[in-house]
Amino acid sequence: MQTNAPAARNDAATPPAGDPPNPLRGDPALRAALARELRAIVGAPHVIDAPEELLVYEYDATIERARPDLVVLPASTEEAAATLAACARVDAPVVPRGSGTGFAGGALPVAGGVVVATARMTRIRELDAEERIAVVEPGVINLALQQAAAEHGLRYAPDPSSQRICTIGGNVGTNAGGPHTLAHGSTVNHVLAVELVLPDGRVTWLGGRQLDAPGVDLRALVVGSEGTLGLVTAVCVRLLPLPEAVRTMLAVFDTVERASEAVSAIVERGVIPVALEMLDAETIRAVESQARLGYPLDAGAVLLAEVEGLAEQVEEDAATVIAALEESGARTVRSADEEAERERLWEGRKAGIGALGAISPNFYLLDGVVPRTKLPAVMREVAALSERYGFRCANIFHAGDGNLHPNIMFDELEPGSSSRVLELGGEILRVCVEAGGSITGEHGVGLEKRSYLGWIFDPPDLDAMTRVRDAFGGSGRFNPCKVLPVSHGCAQGHAAEAGAAALRLARAPGVYL
Amino acid sequence: MPADGPRAAQEAREGSATAVAAIRGAMPEGRDRDPARYPIDGHIPALALAPRTRGELAGALQAAARGGLAVAPQAGRTALAAGGPLHRYDVALDLRGLDRVVEHEPADLTITVEAGISLGSLAEVLRPHGQQLPLDPPGGGEVSVGGMLATARPGSWRGLLPGVGDLLLGATVALPDGTLARSGGRVVKNVAGYDLHRLHAGALGAFGVIVEAAFKLVPLPEATATIACRCRHLPQAAALARTLRDTPLAARGLALVGARAAAEAGLPAEPHVLVGLAGAAAALERSRREVRLCCRSAHVPPAEERGDDETWGRLRALAAGAEAEAGGAEGTPVVLRGSLPLSELAAVLEEAEEAGFAAWAHIAAGSLLAAAPPSGDAADAGRVAALRARCEAAGGTLAIEAGPAALRAALDPAAGARDEVALDLARELRRRFDPLRTVNPGRWPLIDGPGTGAGAAGAA
Repeated sequence: MQTNAPAARNDAATPPAGDPPNPLRGDPALRAALARELRAIVGAPHVIDAPEELLVYEYDATIERARPDLVVLPASTEEAAATLAACARVDAPVVPRGSGTGFAGGALPVAGGVVVATARMTRIRELDAEERIAVVEPGVINLALQQAAAEHGLRYAPDPSSQRICTIGGNVGTNAGGPHTLAHGSTVNHVLAVELVLPDGRVTWLGGRQLDAPGVDLRALVVGSEGTLGLVTAVCVRLLPLPEAVRTMLAVFDTVERASEAVSAIVERGVIPVALEMLDAETIRAVESQARLGYPLDAGAVLLAEVEGLAEQVEEDAATVIAALEESGARTVRSADEEAERERLWEGRKAGIGALGAISPNFYLLDGVVPRTKLPAVMREVAALSERYGFRCANIFHAGDGNLHPNIMFDELEPGSSSRVLELGGEILRVCVEAGGSITGEHGVGLEKRSYLGWIFDPPDLDAMTRVRDAFGGSGRFNPCKVLPVSHGCAQGHAAEAGAAALRLARAPGVYL
Repeated sequence: MPADGPRAAQEAREGSATAVAAIRGAMPEGRDRDPARYPIDGHIPALALAPRTRGELAGALQAAARGGLAVAPQAGRTALAAGGPLHRYDVALDLRGLDRVVEHEPADLTITVEAGISLGSLAEVLRPHGQQLPLDPPGGGEVSVGGMLATARPGSWRGLLPGVGDLLLGATVALPDGTLARSGGRVVKNVAGYDLHRLHAGALGAFGVIVEAAFKLVPLPEATATIACRCRHLPQAAALARTLRDTPLAARGLALVGARAAAEAGLPAEPHVLVGLAGAAAALERSRREVRLCCRSAHVPPAEERGDDETWGRLRALAAGAEAEAGGAEGTPVVLRGSLPLSELAAVLEEAEEAGFAAWAHIAAGSLLAAAPPSGDAADAGRVAALRARCEAAGGTLAIEAGPAALRAALDPAAGARDEVALDLARELRRRFDPLRTVNPGRWPLIDGPGTGAGAAGAA
């Protein structure tokens, strides 16, 4: 897609002097020596230091860029541990990287340093259908694990929409969600243990092969820490049995507000679907312009609901959901049990982001959360704000969780548009926070939102989080300038802050969120 | 109980009179309680305080830290025989006064409560709205939210329903430096900042005292039922449990129950499989049929339906250590929790029952519970150690969740978490959050060390 004009290159990504210490910058001999050492560890072809090859690793799913000094691709825990130890000896910044699908700049080496990519750690080390667990390396693609589990009648519950390309390691980093988080919870609920290489190169397993391992639960701290506490080199996940029955329902509404009210109406009747997803009019039109799925072009919103479980339970829950949809003013409700038919209903949801990418040169994908009951009011505000700023905004999101994904469409070549989009994004997240919500539900804080963290946390809260980061020994060097705001954990902040401000976002190959 | 406990307490009382005065001074009038009502492992603290607000709690904690006093937070007093014996115990902090519902938005299915509220009271608040916090930890309704979080002990629904950490949306924690730190939030999906609340879950206060927590709720099921399948011998029960695990059921509980545990739970003293059903009436009907079919093909006599919470309730009480009020003195029963591969659960359960424990296993969680009276052979440290070795050989772990102080001093209660690197991390975190070990010193022997105080010396 055509988003990434060279103009996206921004100097803020190359921090000015005084930013996080990176001894590799300005010391070619040190960089060369480290490259030599790393080649001895992982093999010559797996250390990248040629400028043209480093290009590949200077981006993620944002349009921000930052070039690493070196990229290393270890193939095993041992190689990863030796790599990290070598980096520690010379105080080189380290940035873990999966598929680079993050929307918050979490994998960008803003201070330069060594990107440790997990692309060669792609083994499913073990899949025990009897115990319903799998031990996988971080570079395993989410969908590959799903497929391996499905062969045994099992599944790995977290299913982010980028599952065809995102890695389990990245999912662990952001505590990824997905459409089915509503019933099954985020990644942390399904990770039994992680093998972690600490910033100094020591290796440990946190957690166990069963639920609720004895001892302090450091596993839960590492999941969602966005690669700031260490490098995850293996993950033990729990697998769930596939449900006996699944029913997907698609309801068409005249307005987003009506559809939002239907979300609460369903829950009030005592049913929590496994997924409850919404597409607004802008998205519907985009989808229809790309692939004719039969959504009415004058529809204000489409709500997708899914229930699963025992056939009898599904029967009853589906009846409840349909009744709630109809009473909330659904124009039509379609319903499907068969997989092919269900997939057709899901198609619009899955193609949504890609379709938006095709109708706008750029878009800024937001990720905010509000209490479910605040959805109608917040959606009104999102629309009003977008109009005030003069941008089209499409919404395609996890309505049941109150997890919004407004997509602000813009053209970065239009002067001043990027900064206004950022401003609008900030205002929308403000609205989420004021409604009692959060600045991110599943994409992470990364570089993008660290300056917003202070909107929901006070200095003592951030100070406690800093203590955690310090205890793992990676402060200032391990994925520097991510998650915690400038005043906490990243001493030289102004440029990183500028980096956040320059994060204008969104390449959108169409498989994300 | 250590022989020199009272004397040490006496010394602490005299030696730190200033500190005690300071901590009293940090609290308004009327917060003093009778210390004799707050024994832990037979120790009586110098001071017992019942703060009414989070600010009072944080102030008390800070004053205690400044004065070098050790604090043990408590509310339901259902898990005071957990972890290693305290090295020091100067101040009891009674959190029962912090029992407010801070926010409950029924339509959002979330609730924020203070830590001192009991699960029983919480259930009362939620029931009229047709909602529940779907957790049934050992001790049941007596357990406080703070106690449930600090111990994070799984209940009988674990594995089929989410665990406590999965439902915890955020928390506010009082740190020994007097600050109040929040993490997470009140919305059901949130990845902003480090999830410290999940670290506090199960930490036994090592990193601060939980004062407030937000939870995700779920609707109450339309119907529930419990079915007890009485088997001839354990292998038969194990095979049935295994089959049921792989059968589509509207189940929230699936337990393999040894003969001794069955007797304790009010069932005939034979191995049983216990199935807890929850869901729509039609789904329950179907599930009953499935259970009947499974029983028939396993040659197990027709299953019997029980009063729904009766049997689970008894097992819950057994798992709590029924004499929790004794606070870890000699009268405290032993409760062990093993984490084991499914394939090993039945064999280890059998060995535990042979060793004198009442043992049962929650199949979906891979967890084995074993309970024994305080004075029997089963409570002997050697036997517990042997069972632990057995679990570890099977690729699992065995934790002591309750027991007499002597047993908990002889064996690390949390063994299984012995990886030195992980322990270093835990020690580092402890040092940064509670450098003076103000809260519950000694609960984690591998983090705090073997203890030099009177309590540990006496108990060892």
